[in-house]
Amino acid sequence: MKISLNINNQKYDCQIEPDETLLNLLRKLGFKSVKKGCDTATCGVCTVLLNENPILSCSYLAVRADGKNITTVEGLGKKADAIIDAIVNEGADQCGFCGPALILTVYALQKELKNPTMEDVNRYLAGNLCRCSGYEGQLRGIKKFLGVK
Amino acid sequence: MKFKNYAKPQNLAEAYQILQNEKNAVILGGNTYLRLNKKTFSTAIDLENLGLNFIKENDENIEIGAYTTLHEIETNAIIKKYFGDFFTKSLKHIVGIQFRNIATIGGSICGKYGFSELITALSVLNCTLVFHQNGVIAFKDFIENSQTKNDILVKIIIPKKCGRLSYKMLRNADSDFPILTVAVNKNSQLNIAIGSCPTVAKLISAKNELENISEFISQNFTFGNDLRATASYRENIASVLLKRALEETL
Repeated sequence: MKISLNINNQKYDCQIEPDETLLNLLRKLGFKSVKKGCDTATCGVCTVLLNENPILSCSYLAVRADGKNITTVEGLGKKADAIIDAIVNEGADQCGFCGPALILTVYALQKELKNPTMEDVNRYLAGNLCRCSGYEGQLRGIKKFLGVK
Repeated sequence: MKFKNYAKPQNLAEAYQILQNEKNAVILGGNTYLRLNKKTFSTAIDLENLGLNFIKENDENIEIGAYTTLHEIETNAIIKKYFGDFFTKSLKHIVGIQFRNIATIGGSICGKYGFSELITALSVLNCTLVFHQNGVIAFKDFIENSQTKNDILVKIIIPKKCGRLSYKMLRNADSDFPILTVAVNKNSQLNIAIGSCPTVAKLISAKNELENISEFISQNFTFGNDLRATASYRENIASVLLKRALEETL
């Protein structure tokens, strides 16, 4: 099947299998920041933005992305830097495997929630699993980045 | 889950025709749970073009299209206006925001999943389901029977008028499947639904005052074992959660 989608504001015309996942397509196209972790819709490391909303690309069919806008962490450009710096400054950038998905989700959180509490932040980020950090360092950085009181 | 062909019909009649013509076709919902299925289907039918993603209100009811995502329900102002945080409580622990942005209400209902917190919540609200071919079916009848096989769920109708609501659940870890879910709607009678037993939620209507909660539970609900909890633990927890839920509806 042929589809055409926008990834990070660039048009891609792709030949796909009908049951191919968006995760598989993105990795084939070289977007290796999008990780294949659990592959059971649990861990969140395959997160991308679909029309600005975070979704699990492991569960989203590539064919459904036809004509839509996909953003990976590469597409955030400088918007990602401040989030990365906030996490790095807390020494919480360990293996980095969950990093791109976490950054995209924090970016989406900032756009969706106005004046979030830490409870709102924890709830929004609950689908991003990290096996290194224990979350405390990441959350200290994210709290500062978002200006949560 | 694998499939050989992908169809994106332009109307319900076309979608229904594909479903009837092919023995092994499947309707796509959010594809969050279906994708874990080991089967190979002939055709996956995508209803994205049929305008089934909506939350509307009329004088008496709220109508939710089958393709509405869990996150849209969780955050919708109309839903909050009439049901407070009842739906938010039943949805906010489901995996993560990325999951709830694609999982749909139609997929959650039609899967009749035992772990479905949405089914527990909807069970107490006297909802009806509208199918393309079978028309209007009471939510309870759909959950308990399978007469709508090979049909297409179009929308869910929830009466605005409801009593005092409460939703309680217990899970081992945030974003995991729940061990037990309880929903209560206290109006002229009590609607009590208990789910994740680990089987699908069951609705029992009772008098407004329960004399003995644990006796009511043992007489009306059956619990089973799975890797998250034993049947006896579930039964004990059910009494505690139902007591708390009833206190909230006083």
